[in-house]
Amino acid sequence: MLNNRTLKIILLSTVFVFTLVCLSFARTDHRDYKDNKPEECRDCHSGSGVMSNHGAFFVKEHRLLAQKAGSNCADCHQQSFCIDCHQGGGITADLQRSPSRRGEYKPKTHRSDFISTHSMKAADNPQNCYRCHQSSFCTDCHTGTRSKGSLRIKSHRKAGTSSQIYNWNSDHAAEARRNLQSCETCHPDADVCVQCHSSGKANPHPRNWRDISKRYKDESKGRTCRKCHITY
Amino acid sequence: MRVMKFLAILMALACVPLLSHAAEVKLTSSTQYLWYQDLLAADKEKSQEDVAEYLRVNVTKLDKEGKINIYGYGRATKQVSTSQDLQGRLYYFYVDYRDAFKEHLDLRAGRTYVNAAAVSGTIDGLHVDIKNLGPMGITVFGGRHVIFEDKRDTGTRGDALTGMSLYLDTIKNTHIEVSYGRKYSDTDVARENIGLDFSTTPIGQANFYGRLKYDIVAETNNEILFGAKVAPLNDLVLRAEYYQSYPTFDIASIYSIFAVNKYKEKSISAEYQLTANYRVSVKYAREDFGNDADADSYEIGFLARPVKDLTLNMIYEKRNGYAGELSGIRLYGEYKISNAAIMAGIDYDDFRRELSREGTAKKYWAGVNYEFNKMISAIVRVENNVNFLYDHSYQGYAAININY
Repeated sequence: MLNNRTLKIILLSTVFVFTLVCLSFARTDHRDYKDNKPEECRDCHSGSGVMSNHGAFFVKEHRLLAQKAGSNCADCHQQSFCIDCHQGGGITADLQRSPSRRGEYKPKTHRSDFISTHSMKAADNPQNCYRCHQSSFCTDCHTGTRSKGSLRIKSHRKAGTSSQIYNWNSDHAAEARRNLQSCETCHPDADVCVQCHSSGKANPHPRNWRDISKRYKDESKGRTCRKCHITY
Repeated sequence: MRVMKFLAILMALACVPLLSHAAEVKLTSSTQYLWYQDLLAADKEKSQEDVAEYLRVNVTKLDKEGKINIYGYGRATKQVSTSQDLQGRLYYFYVDYRDAFKEHLDLRAGRTYVNAAAVSGTIDGLHVDIKNLGPMGITVFGGRHVIFEDKRDTGTRGDALTGMSLYLDTIKNTHIEVSYGRKYSDTDVARENIGLDFSTTPIGQANFYGRLKYDIVAETNNEILFGAKVAPLNDLVLRAEYYQSYPTFDIASIYSIFAVNKYKEKSISAEYQLTANYRVSVKYAREDFGNDADADSYEIGFLARPVKDLTLNMIYEKRNGYAGELSGIRLYGEYKISNAAIMAGIDYDDFRRELSREGTAKKYWAGVNYEFNKMISAIVRVENNVNFLYDHSYQGYAAININY
């Protein structure tokens, strides 16, 4: 068994070593290199023990680095560098970028005819769209000009060419569960959902609803609940 | 009027050096003319035309030690092909006070972008970074939430963002961070998240990283990410990643009460620098949407600099599975001659949306950036789109840039 004195020595030594190691961390200031080309970064990073970034997949991986407190993005980039991609700005007028239908600059990731391919891109992690766009962004097209029969959504198509009945069967549940955010685009108040779900025949809630419902009720002052449950 | 107000503020900043001999002002202006197609316009074949003025002002070295700086960036746009009003956005305008208390305190006050795993956005408020507390640091921010929408900035007085993060930089290149964020909508709490980030490089050739974003109200993980990046050779980087997301909604949204599926993605990628001037990259991702819906995604990239001042880039992408099939290639290159940088490219996509349209989309574009001198440059870019909506859609822009 170790006595108290030994324990104290071990503890203090550990704290001392830990502090020493922590203080040895020094973030490299990159401001001196901000005018360098990305390919020149390899001069230091290659074989230095610190892997380079800004590679082929940096558009996707930059989010984690940029959201890190104390990140060194600002050593080289101003906030306008981020905003020009995320918010349609164009002070640098990058030659690779196209104007959108609103006359704002689209990020380079929006290739060729993005209007035609966006439904697939939006399926590849729907959260990506909402990093830059409000849900009202989609509304311009999806509610402004199209009737539901012409929408290319399985559950929204008519059962036959002359039918007034829509394919509103189990398809809509699967579609909604995979990308519920897209439903919000055209049905911001979910009135169409409430018509059936308020009857109690199909419970729409997630499994942990009993645990979390009180907070939703309290924070929304019951407004959300009263959409279906008139007693709230 | 708001547009004119913020432009006046930005212009007034240019006068600051008159009051302080030490201050330096860097002004960047871009005056642009754009023409483009709007498929929702009454006549979708007719080009819409905009004029835009972008202005960025950096006022630095306001104090002797160069710790206090002011940064501003905004734009004004006017659609000249219609009677639409002048519209404007103030992207940011803040005072930056670095090392306000020794080397332990950074302050940003004004309109600024704040970013943390738990919450991010633009605020009219304050960002405080208490740093170098041994290996630790604390970031706190809060203010009115500014929302950019339809060429303007919106958001009511009751929309707000607040948050903080506590971070620890321990042994070299290990970063652990816990963040907390709240979003308010019309003074009611709309979101409440906790973020956890870690990144460590135990040996020079291996980096492990992760992200957990937890929605406190929905009591579920909004995002989970784990990844490993390994460099077995100096010029070869391999990566494997697992990502999972579960969409959550604002508390007051009726959609917050619905059950949804998790989206899961497993991906592997490799990037090899063949020589200083040639790079090849490949990526594969397996996507799972739940209820037996999945997709495969492939990407191959090639970058070459065969001769001095010439850069060529090629990216091929293939996707098949839930939501549709896509096979596309993007080629572009840049060549520099004297004061001019010439760029041109082609995008070609062959797509089949599930139960919907199919076909090809082509974009041909070219542009030149000519520097008259270090202060003035001009840009012209044109493109032709051949796609489902247009037989030929010509778009482009011309800009005069001034760096003062």
